[in-house]
Amino acid sequence: MNASAWPLLELSTKLLDPEEREVVLGDLLETHATAWRGLLDIFSLVMHRRAGLWRDPRPWVAGFVVALPSSYLLMGASSSVTCTYQRLMHHRVFVEHSPTGHEGFLLLLCHVLLLIAWSWAAGYTVGSVSRRTLWASVVLAAVPSLNFLCAPVSGLCLLLFLPPAMLGVWRGWQGSRISFRAASVFALTVTVLMISAWTNDALWIANWALLCPAWYLVARARRSRPNGGDGFWPMRHARAQ
Amino acid sequence: MLGEFEYVLITTAAGLGENAYGVAIRDEIEASIQRTCSMGALYTTIDRLEAKGLLKTWVGDATPQRGGRGKRMVRVTPHGVRAAKQFYDSVLRISRGASWVETRMGGTS
Repeated sequence: MNASAWPLLELSTKLLDPEEREVVLGDLLETHATAWRGLLDIFSLVMHRRAGLWRDPRPWVAGFVVALPSSYLLMGASSSVTCTYQRLMHHRVFVEHSPTGHEGFLLLLCHVLLLIAWSWAAGYTVGSVSRRTLWASVVLAAVPSLNFLCAPVSGLCLLLFLPPAMLGVWRGWQGSRISFRAASVFALTVTVLMISAWTNDALWIANWALLCPAWYLVARARRSRPNGGDGFWPMRHARAQ
Repeated sequence: MLGEFEYVLITTAAGLGENAYGVAIRDEIEASIQRTCSMGALYTTIDRLEAKGLLKTWVGDATPQRGGRGKRMVRVTPHGVRAAKQFYDSVLRISRGASWVETRMGGTS
């Protein structure tokens, strides 16, 4: 093998798991494969591995069932919060870009809290359901931004949901555990806030879909509950043991 | 039931015995079926067969000719032997009466 091509092959194998990388590099050295054959081999393996991930339903669920619709709804919610804020603080009215256009400060606060909670829960779900195809979920989450190009508010205002969502994705991707009780309190709080906003006509019906990630957290926490223990704060629970 | 390539891989690994590992299996397959076998097809098939319990793999000792890197050793499990035999029997059964089989039998007898 051409020695100058070796660094390129080594770099390509970074797309593989560390253990497999070593085996593949060893195989290439042993067979004295040409650089071209080596690259083809590595990319065929990478493609097989990547394609194999999509045989599982989880990447599809994370991308098409959670990331794409959640991102669309959260952009709408960000826009709504921005419009309400502008109306209350600067008396600027954006027709048809707020559920009622009559929300007060209390409902604005409720919306802000809901936006943070929805975003974090959706991000956590996307990050935890399919970690290895996170890039695809992120790409799908960016798609709805095309629909909001003509929105009356600035692009940054549409992305209000991003910081909590990214935090959620990070926590989910890391596999952070949430205690069953904390997840239940979180989901119940979100539900109560949503009912409160709904009864004041300050919620779109589609926003109810954003409740699913919050209850997914409860189901996930319940499934991974160790021996039925359910400490409210994970740290305190760990210390008690 | 096994797929065609799965059967080829199990049979090749069984034939190589203690020396069955990635490169050796690939060389043997390419020599016997006269077709290029990509590393992607080889290792993903090995993974699939291992998941079905038909193969067992582990990383073997490092060798100098591999730059101090280990081989992915392969061993066919008893379950794998049964599956390969079942595939072979099925091919024999289904081939009975096929025109090319008769021609061959006629030629050799």
